[in-house]
Amino acid sequence: MSFNADHSSSVSREQVTEAYLKAIRLIDERVAPFLGRATTRVLVQGAAKRIVDTYPFLACLVKRPYTEVVPSVIQEHLAGVSSTELTAGLNALLDECFAGLRELTGDLIVPPLHDEIIHHLRELQ
Amino acid sequence: MESSVQSESEVTDSAYRSSHIHSADRLATIRQELQYINDIGKRFVAAFDRFQVHRALLAALQELYSFSACCILLKGDPSYELFIIPSYPLSSEFLEAMIQRIASVATFIDFAPLDPEQLAKTAYLDAPDDLPRSYAKRETPAKEEIGSFLNIPLTVENRIIGMLSLFDEQTDTFDTDLLQLTTMIADYAAVALENVRLRERENALWRQAEFERQRLELIIRSMAEGLLITDREGAIISLNHSAQQMLIQGQASVKLQVPLRRLATETDAAPWLPRLAEIIEQALRGKTVTNQELIISLSGETVPLTLNISAAPLPDANSVPKRPIGVVAVLNDVTSIKQIERLKDEFVSIVSHELRTPLTAIKGYAQHLVRRIERRLRKIRDALPKGTPPVAEPPESYDLRSLNIIQSQSEHLERLVNDLLDLSKVQWGNLDLNIEPFHLADLLAESVRSTQASAEQHTIRLDIQTQDTSILADRIRISQVVGNILDNAIKYSPHGGEVTIRLQVQDGDYLVSIIDQGIGVSPQHYDHIFERFYRVHNTASRQYSGIGLGLYVAKGIVDKHGGRIWFTNNQSIGTTFYFSLPRRPSTQQRAGD
Repeated sequence: MSFNADHSSSVSREQVTEAYLKAIRLIDERVAPFLGRATTRVLVQGAAKRIVDTYPFLACLVKRPYTEVVPSVIQEHLAGVSSTELTAGLNALLDECFAGLRELTGDLIVPPLHDEIIHHLRELQ
Repeated sequence: MESSVQSESEVTDSAYRSSHIHSADRLATIRQELQYINDIGKRFVAAFDRFQVHRALLAALQELYSFSACCILLKGDPSYELFIIPSYPLSSEFLEAMIQRIASVATFIDFAPLDPEQLAKTAYLDAPDDLPRSYAKRETPAKEEIGSFLNIPLTVENRIIGMLSLFDEQTDTFDTDLLQLTTMIADYAAVALENVRLRERENALWRQAEFERQRLELIIRSMAEGLLITDREGAIISLNHSAQQMLIQGQASVKLQVPLRRLATETDAAPWLPRLAEIIEQALRGKTVTNQELIISLSGETVPLTLNISAAPLPDANSVPKRPIGVVAVLNDVTSIKQIERLKDEFVSIVSHELRTPLTAIKGYAQHLVRRIERRLRKIRDALPKGTPPVAEPPESYDLRSLNIIQSQSEHLERLVNDLLDLSKVQWGNLDLNIEPFHLADLLAESVRSTQASAEQHTIRLDIQTQDTSILADRIRISQVVGNILDNAIKYSPHGGEVTIRLQVQDGDYLVSIIDQGIGVSPQHYDHIFERFYRVHNTASRQYSGIGLGLYVAKGIVDKHGGRIWFTNNQSIGTTFYFSLPRRPSTQQRAGD
């Protein structure tokens, strides 16, 4: 993913979180017509579960769907997490989501969507 | 101008034709798509079991793609179910690769980790019937590797219930343009599979309920107790074999669906029916009625056929407040118990009679000796010169004290024997009264004197609060009542103290109160204290002697006189027993004699 960790020192944790939540919402918008509303939700939960050992602050995404994660909830889990670490964790989360999508549909929807998300994240920098 | 107009018209016409053709094509395409969706919808709706859903799914997907196999992974409780539906025979390696991939993909959509080996063992191969023909048609040998795949979560109301997986030996089989349509078919399949699951669950629950119903019916049928159920009108709607037999013995031809109250007015053959109707009506009013005795046999038998009935309302779960929709009543034939009771009472009566004869002699001779010693003591005292102070008590004084105790105890024993004799009379309502005029104050004084003789630790005080104490009653029986209550007052005041007998007039009747300073009565005994053979066991780790008949007989005697007996715990310590007696018995009581 392309949300550059080198530049993230100037970006607040709230901005990083908001940017990635927007990216996930965008994935949801694109995936829902093809695979249904619930798919992105379980993809994100499954992805968070696989990387939570490395990024424990993602535990809130394991326990509840990303749609229920609001800034006040996520702030509780981000105490002591730097923007760089947060970016790395959320990047890994998006990578896992795309890996999941690829497992489901191969290259049917991933390549254009991946490009769109990269573009979207760059715009938010 | 005309030419120009004509030319414009031609252009418009051509554009219109082109647009019309384009719209017609689009319309035809939409119609074709709608027809397709309608067809597959019908197939899924008509599918009654999961295999019909598989057939419908395969047919719908095969119209879009040519693929090797379609798999359905369903979340189960607790394990997963995998169904493999091949389009044609596949190599075992290909099957294995499919299962591996399904297990891998499942974790990406947050399914619990799946063991491919376990999945392979439990997978169900749902091969279409025409598979051998497909095999015969096949020109190329089966491949071992997956060429292309597509996995779509099966969703019902935003809940993922499983996953549809399509596999093909060839590459690039699946198409982004058809992905949306494929997901739509998967949605149809998911709903159809969920319906099948719900139907299966419903059938399983129905079978279980039916099994439970049959089991319950068998239990009710084989019960020795009679069981009958009525509707909200009090009409019997169901009864078991035992209940039927009991009612037949009572000469009742009970008709179902007819209220018992109406049946009771229609027939004279079963005079007990109104009582049964009354018990059922009490339960219909929401009251649980327990252990009501109902004598249902014809008169003339020594021990009549007796039923013990308990009835409880059946509440309507849907109404607030809950109103009974019927009554369930349990009938027990207690005739044999009554027979045994009768035999026991007869035995007790005979034994009591045998005991009374020697007891009368003991009591009489003790009285005789008391009088002799009293006379001798008077002589000794008279022989002493006047003004001489008594040096020591003569030995006769000790003898007199001992004899008084013998006399008091023999009177106590006589009361016990009388209680035993009266037991069956009270039980069967045959207590006879010998009504005569006497003064209640004299009777109470005599009882105090007799009890005081053998109760050295206690002080028994008599408190008469009325001038006229004349009464028409059975003197011996009333003496028995006072004696029984006094015996209890002494027995349950183990550390001594004062016992007061008070006589008052209240509402025109005599009210006798016997107030002790004993251990009192615990609330758990309140409802049973006047029952026969009921004893307050082991109160405060102490055993109290007695046979538990005193209060039962006392109540029987007071009731027979038209009076009332009850008790209260005193505020500080002990108990007060009360009984009221009318000054003269009513006509009914006299007629009963």
